[in-house]
Amino acid sequence: MTARPYHLAVDIGGTFVDAMELDQRTGVVRFRKASTTPAAPWEGVLAAVEALGTDLAEAEVFIHGTTLGLNAVLERRGGATGIITNAGLRDIFLIGRGNLPDEQMYNFQYERPPSLVQRRHTAGVRGRLDHHGEVLEPLDEDDLRDVARQLVEEQGVISVAVCFLHSYLNPESEQRAAELLRSWYPELKVSVSTDVVREYREYERTSTTVLEAYIRPIFERYVDELERGLADRDFAGRFLIMRSGGGSMTSDAAKHSPTPTVLSGPAGGIVGGSYIAEVLGRDNLLTFDIGGTSLDACVIEQGTAVITHEAELEHYPLLMPTYDIRTIGAGGGSIATIERGLLKVGPRSAGAQPGPVCYGRGGTEPTVTDAAVVLGYVDPDSFLSGRMRLHDKEALTAVTEQIAGPLGLTPREAAAGIFDVMLAKTVGAVRQITVERGHDPKAFSLLAFGGAGPLVAPLLARELNVGEVIVPFAPSGFSAWGMLSADVVTDLSRTRMELLDEADLGDVAAELDELGRDAFRSLADQGVDESHMAVERQLELRYLGQEHTLTLSIHAGLDAKTIRDAFNEMHRVRYGHSMDNPIQILTSRVRGIGRTERPELPTSPAGDGNAARALVTTRRAFDFGIRAEADFAVFDRSKLEPGDRFRGPALVDEGTSTTVVHSGQQVMVEEHGYLLITPDSEGAFA
Amino acid sequence: MTERIDGATVEVVRSYLLSAAEEMRTTLLRTAFNPVIYEVHDFGISIYDEHLELIAEAPGLTSFLGANDFSIVKTMEYVGAENVHRGDVVMVNLPYWSAAHAYDAMMFSPVYLPRAEDPESDGLLLGYVSVRAHWMDLGAKDPGYVLDSTDVHQEGVLFPGTKLWDRGEPVTAMHELIRFNSRMPDLVIGDLHAQVSCLRTGELRLREIIRKFGKDTVDAAVATIRDQSEARTREALLQLPQGTWTAEDWLDDDGITEDPILMKVTVTIANGEMVVDFAGSSPAVPGPVNMPFGATIALGKVVLKNLTSPNEPGDAGSSRPLTVLAEPGTLFHAVYPQPTFTLWTGIVALELIYKALAQGMPDRLAASSGGDVPGFMMVGDHPDTGEFFAISNNDVVGRGGSPDHDGLDATMHISESIVRNTPIEVLEARSGMRFEALEIRTDSGGAGKFRGGCGIRRDIRFFSPGEFLSVIKKTKTAPWSLDGGLEPEPNQVVVFPGTEREQVVSTKRTAVAPGDLIRIITAGGGGHGEPRQRDAEAVSRDVAEGYVSAEAARDVYGLEL
Repeated sequence: MTARPYHLAVDIGGTFVDAMELDQRTGVVRFRKASTTPAAPWEGVLAAVEALGTDLAEAEVFIHGTTLGLNAVLERRGGATGIITNAGLRDIFLIGRGNLPDEQMYNFQYERPPSLVQRRHTAGVRGRLDHHGEVLEPLDEDDLRDVARQLVEEQGVISVAVCFLHSYLNPESEQRAAELLRSWYPELKVSVSTDVVREYREYERTSTTVLEAYIRPIFERYVDELERGLADRDFAGRFLIMRSGGGSMTSDAAKHSPTPTVLSGPAGGIVGGSYIAEVLGRDNLLTFDIGGTSLDACVIEQGTAVITHEAELEHYPLLMPTYDIRTIGAGGGSIATIERGLLKVGPRSAGAQPGPVCYGRGGTEPTVTDAAVVLGYVDPDSFLSGRMRLHDKEALTAVTEQIAGPLGLTPREAAAGIFDVMLAKTVGAVRQITVERGHDPKAFSLLAFGGAGPLVAPLLARELNVGEVIVPFAPSGFSAWGMLSADVVTDLSRTRMELLDEADLGDVAAELDELGRDAFRSLADQGVDESHMAVERQLELRYLGQEHTLTLSIHAGLDAKTIRDAFNEMHRVRYGHSMDNPIQILTSRVRGIGRTERPELPTSPAGDGNAARALVTTRRAFDFGIRAEADFAVFDRSKLEPGDRFRGPALVDEGTSTTVVHSGQQVMVEEHGYLLITPDSEGAFA
Repeated sequence: MTERIDGATVEVVRSYLLSAAEEMRTTLLRTAFNPVIYEVHDFGISIYDEHLELIAEAPGLTSFLGANDFSIVKTMEYVGAENVHRGDVVMVNLPYWSAAHAYDAMMFSPVYLPRAEDPESDGLLLGYVSVRAHWMDLGAKDPGYVLDSTDVHQEGVLFPGTKLWDRGEPVTAMHELIRFNSRMPDLVIGDLHAQVSCLRTGELRLREIIRKFGKDTVDAAVATIRDQSEARTREALLQLPQGTWTAEDWLDDDGITEDPILMKVTVTIANGEMVVDFAGSSPAVPGPVNMPFGATIALGKVVLKNLTSPNEPGDAGSSRPLTVLAEPGTLFHAVYPQPTFTLWTGIVALELIYKALAQGMPDRLAASSGGDVPGFMMVGDHPDTGEFFAISNNDVVGRGGSPDHDGLDATMHISESIVRNTPIEVLEARSGMRFEALEIRTDSGGAGKFRGGCGIRRDIRFFSPGEFLSVIKKTKTAPWSLDGGLEPEPNQVVVFPGTEREQVVSTKRTAVAPGDLIRIITAGGGGHGEPRQRDAEAVSRDVAEGYVSAEAARDVYGLEL
């Protein structure tokens, strides 16, 4: 046990800051919210901490999820950022790959959003490597001096990205340039491509480096303010920040290199999901996080969430391990409209302001939440444990006038139609992410969280023929809870691009060992004790000529035949065939992991199995199992005990969210109190 | 026969059908072997009903919109519906039917719902799934790309609707024929399998959808969607200025002679319909720039879509108000055995249609972009390994100035705007080229109240011998401007600049030796509106950023800085 008992997790969302406190001694968690304060975001964070009232002197860990980096890019709030690259190639970032976003394919008058870098802030210097990393022409330091003077002194650049062609094979000239720049301008922030990501493709590497250079000044200021505010409140524990592809990093490390944090918004729920997959022993899990504006889905295989090594931020490529999350514009606040006689749901959302019609805050267009009210799933009087009275009549009017009337349906049919359309949109997308992995959605358990997760997930399970839905406790606070189980993580990679049959596997092993040592050094710098360190080694492989790669975990020694067989098998599973073509090693990857103590999932002894103890009332609502109204048994979740079983139609109420179970489905409460929803014994799921 | 159903059900069925096409696309992208499929998105995927009318599609390239429509109808006329069975995969690449050149392998499969009492039967025909994709080699006269064929038999082995799978069994003899007729058999056979995976996925999904909703409901939903697409398209056309406009432009040459080739189009928008008529264009030419008529129709579909519903998925209804005309035996309607390989005509002609339309609606349309996809390829033996390589790249151009904003700088041509260029680090590692410059060109955008986007300059120095293929068909004339805007300089390829051998070329195969230099200059977009009406602040910003020179600011925009 740690000396200080409290672990805090604080997650900033678009509207609210969620704060969670875990008392390691008892396993008890507490949860509070505060409003987001966009002008000075640290203030909202500190307010949420104060709302919890935790004695910060007694806190061991403060773990923070923030989308500050992402927002800085979206709102173009970063400082003047420059690029130094090779002579003749200064436009590498502005030209990029020349393509437009896929959805703009038929828009011949497209306007790009303003670039992160102004052209006058880009410059090339003489000096060149060839495609083996050999020096063709040495770095011209006088040229660099001139260029630096021009960018910094004349143009007022405060942060600069340095990226030279082929540097991933030989970082020396980039490092030399950075050293000179730092010596000339100690205040200038210098981001070096090979420090950020040592992988091939000059635009993608430059873009990743530019994103880092762009975010750094603003991120550093934010973390400084937060560190100061926490110190003022006697916090002396470890300050960690969530990463986009799993785990966390110390605030110090994040100040220096904030890029790994930028897409960390949904990461807490996935970290939590990975932990749940392990504890409950589910090999294939789909996390399903539904908030107000969107649905985030992610696949977890064997306890490990699927990671992509190339993400995008506002169409800028980001070579950073990132959870492979599919986001669909369908959440509780998604607006339903009629366009040319067809019912459309989303991607427009009423968000938190004005919100759904039933919130009574000025929203006039019906949303998914309003449909849920019309369908009878939400009790207008007990929403948010009665803290907010829902305007159910207004919701009904909006659905009736704007949807049911034009479609010639009854209000309940129309509301059911809103759910149908949202589900149809979602099913395709969820199917894609499982099929891309070579799986059938049937093989998955579905973990539902976020405010609207348990409302929708059982229906989605019906549509997808999924065998099981898992609803954790307090689904709306699950993301913050998940953060509490985040390890400290460091990712390192090197592009190799060589044939497996020609590679010196001893050299590959030596590189993996070297990356492993670097990862451990980084973990040690972040205060991780050696006894808690672990390393994962991977090779990214493909058939020669392919673009897409598969990532193979390397557990034991390297052996060409073992690698070839494992890759072929993986390819067969994923794509349905394997080939005799030569295999290419594209990248070696190492993840260093500093294990943290995870919050225990307390179990309770089984009760008498009679769920009647928790039965509160019955309510008329729409049952998708029979596509008609039915009496739903309403259960109070806090009174359910492990071992309880009941059948749909049923509603399980827990104040901040409602689980909706339809006929043909049954519920079992497992030992941690989680709800397991499965097709009932008649197997009438589909 | 079709029942009336509500707008929620229609939308649900629509989502399922679209995701079936998307899933086919994902399967193809994930399993394809050649980069032209997964990088350049040189493919098209469509789902048809049992009457061969389009239900849903997932185009890869912009100009592959609806290209399968023509192809499947033509091929089925030849094959005969009665000869196609469950589990068949049919291939066509005969350009006059397939609506593309011979290296685009179009494959399709019928989808049947077997009778419950006899699962081995074909059962009820539900529709067809199809996918076309570009193959790396199918035995044409030259490796890489064909620039000077004079008849279709020099362009690859032809398949006129040939079964590659027969009732679920592979027709091994055909696979071997393909393998032995390709210079890159592994890639081609790999892509063949990727396409079949794609078709099998579509087959499975379409069958599931019909099982789930019932054929009557799906038919009713599809009919509703089509009627609405048609109504939407007609309404949008009615809102545009009505009239008939004619435009001409020039294609550089046919790859055989140096003579420019006349392209002419007359576009009519009236009564909710659009007619695109290529009458007056050159007769078919000896070289491979003639267009298969199916590809010409696809151009009309792209323009119609852009004008009426750029953000809606296409179906048979949305193209009903369109008529495309071109006399057989002319540039836009090749007939056997006229060569069609290069296909670049379609790229240039797409903007010809806009050139005609812009006369009637200059306040709605952008001026011409750089007007082409300046492409290049190098083939040779790799200096490190001695092995044969072929690698290509498509370059960016400027986009045309719009009625209310500047054209994008350095962007892919509108005919393939989601295609990406090839990274220099990849090009240098896999060929004998080294890139000394890739830069936006100052003053390359056509001046205007809203200027055209800038083009680029690319300097290529060779460090090993080989052949360099420039593929570009609009270098002799400048892209057009609108409403008083100025024309930019045209595209240009200069081989061996600054030497005695210096030459300006168009599409050409050039032998290169170590130390040689080739320069590619891509055009900016045309300007829109009088340059002197341009906002002074925008001009000074352009000067500060280096898009416009101080001299041009003074001389063209009338702004002394």
